[in-house]
Amino acid sequence: MKKNKLSPAALREQNWAYIMVAPTIIGLLVLNIWPFLQTIYTSFCEHLGFGNYKFIGLANYTEMFQTPEFWKATWNTILFCILTVPVGLFLSLLVAMLLNAKIRFKGGFRTIFFLPMVCAPAAVTMVWRWIFNAEYGILNQMFGTQIKWITDPNFVMISCAVVAIWSNIGYDAVLLLAGLQNIPKTLYEANSIDGAGKVKQFFTITLPMVSPTLFVVMIMRLMASVKVYDLIYMMVEETNPAVTSVQSLMYLFYRESFVAGSRGMGSAIVIWTVLLIGLVTVIQFYGQKKWVNYDV
Amino acid sequence: MKKIRRVAALVLTMALLLSLFGCGAADGKTHLKFQIWDVAQRDSMQAICDAYTAKNPDVIIEVQVTSWNEYWTKLEAAAESNTMPDIFWMHTNQILYYSDFGMLADVTELYDDVEPGYYENHFSEISIGNAQGTDGRMYGVPKDKDNIFLVYNKEMFDAAGVAYPDENWTWDDLVNASQTIYDKTGNYGYMAYHDDQMGYWSFVYQAGGYILNEDFTKAGFDQPGTKKGMEFYVGLQDYDWCPKQEYFAENAPGTAFFSGIGAMYIEGNWELMNKCVSFPNMQGKWDIAPMPKCPDPVSGDGRATISNGLCYSTAAHGKTRDIALDVIKFFGTEEAQLLASSYGAAISAYNGTEQPYFDAFDKAGYDINVEMVMDQFEYGVQNVNNSAKPKWKSPVLDELNKVYAGQQSLDSALANMQQIVDTETAKKLAGD
Repeated sequence: MKKNKLSPAALREQNWAYIMVAPTIIGLLVLNIWPFLQTIYTSFCEHLGFGNYKFIGLANYTEMFQTPEFWKATWNTILFCILTVPVGLFLSLLVAMLLNAKIRFKGGFRTIFFLPMVCAPAAVTMVWRWIFNAEYGILNQMFGTQIKWITDPNFVMISCAVVAIWSNIGYDAVLLLAGLQNIPKTLYEANSIDGAGKVKQFFTITLPMVSPTLFVVMIMRLMASVKVYDLIYMMVEETNPAVTSVQSLMYLFYRESFVAGSRGMGSAIVIWTVLLIGLVTVIQFYGQKKWVNYDV
Repeated sequence: MKKIRRVAALVLTMALLLSLFGCGAADGKTHLKFQIWDVAQRDSMQAICDAYTAKNPDVIIEVQVTSWNEYWTKLEAAAESNTMPDIFWMHTNQILYYSDFGMLADVTELYDDVEPGYYENHFSEISIGNAQGTDGRMYGVPKDKDNIFLVYNKEMFDAAGVAYPDENWTWDDLVNASQTIYDKTGNYGYMAYHDDQMGYWSFVYQAGGYILNEDFTKAGFDQPGTKKGMEFYVGLQDYDWCPKQEYFAENAPGTAFFSGIGAMYIEGNWELMNKCVSFPNMQGKWDIAPMPKCPDPVSGDGRATISNGLCYSTAAHGKTRDIALDVIKFFGTEEAQLLASSYGAAISAYNGTEQPYFDAFDKAGYDINVEMVMDQFEYGVQNVNNSAKPKWKSPVLDELNKVYAGQQSLDSALANMQQIVDTETAKKLAGD
């Protein structure tokens, strides 16, 4: 016989559970789910002004797929991910391992690496813009070069990627550091007794053991990279001749929605971005079976 | 300890509740919010608000400043939920968008009890045009008027042995002086950067062209005068003495000028006082001169400067609409406009209230030829605008950007710009 019915006491408890999670659920519904549904609807509309919308079906999407700027922005976004995520992850892991090693002033180093995370992104990009300045920037002065870091279409993306990696290393490293510290010391000891070198140790113990954390960090970093906006907005102004070479999807969304007032088109770009993030994440979840190790 | 916490929580809750009812005001007075975007004008705006309070002790007005970009995002969101500030500044870029949607109170008849034809009698045609909706009604009380001019570095002109620019200067003089200064001092000449209001617009009108036709329905990028002006302006960056657009993307021309790197650039009078205050070590080393004129315009006398102006507006359906209307009615009087001028931040729109603006520079001890700004209003051109401008402004900018980046010829850009403006304008007109 199945016991479907809960006792009155258990029922009361269940109700309490609902009440307890209600604030979060309501917040999620009001602040995330509802706006998301509205964005989907808006993407099928033309914004006439001041919150008045006219349903126009798929027109925004057909127009979007026909504009070269849109495809360029999609490619820019993908390129930005390719440039920032692998290098960023590699450097973060490297930093995390160094911070995990037995060195002096470890606390001080950890603070220094985490500092970019505490700085306001606007301030960070202001400083980097001065560093990159082609005429008076310290970078060109130091190396005696004349590279137009943020106005040459061939360099602007790399420059933005450098700033993005620099800003995020600290945060990712701290997460990875936590993962590294969870690895039991006994594994290394046993491995050393077996006569394995440091490099082999890294590939046979460290990497597999930290892979779950690495996976989470990678997903988060990829999502953030697809959504990149503030950094590029701050680094590259509208009258920069290289703007089309670095304009990301979210930058395009900003210009459509808030500069031109075409919120329908803006929403269509957002939906496209959501699909892109979804696709990338699904691929990653399938891919993780190949390399992420959940056995201890 | 616990008790203290409880009391504290109670006090905080009370404070929160009180702030909710803040608009109702415990002191029995009406409190109004006045939203502006220029921090340099906070004092002058607060002064005219206080002058109003002096006459109407029951009304307290608080000036709030938001940055330019945030201002418009906030104002639009507020307009959607009918919670606009009680009084706010309106800009020509946006006034048609807001007024077409009926967001702004119609102030055409505001002064009918005082004086019929008040606006026509006391404000210039341009000032009125800058405050009008597409339907020709007034949606704001004119606040100020401005125009743009040439700023030049006296030391560099002296060093190169070139005479200072004056009202007879032509485009050729601009080019020759720039070349000489570059050759003799190594500094940049005139810094011509990619911009519409502060850039090519004035040159287009000087050459006898136009950006929008008289009823604002079609662009004029296919006109010979427009083409002439644009070719000259965009072509300036081909000279050695002008920095390239890449340079301006990283360095503001004003900063380059006041750092002593370039000899000339174009600035608007609303920035003058700010520049005087911000760069005390440059005092006496620079001055301003009229816009150079086109020597051989397609039509007209070759003179033009873009003249813009702001206005005071209030929401069409605001809760405090009637009081707010009375306040902006006061803001449009000679008394208030004289007072606002005296702070030297903006030239009041009311005819005859300009002098205190110029006096402010003398009083502060800044020796620049500000009176010249007044003479320029004679050939001022109303800031280019139609109701589709938010839609075409950025795409037009992008097209020209491609010319500066060497990705497209000016001719093809002009054709595209013409098409963009015409299409968006036609769409907007068909929609109304």
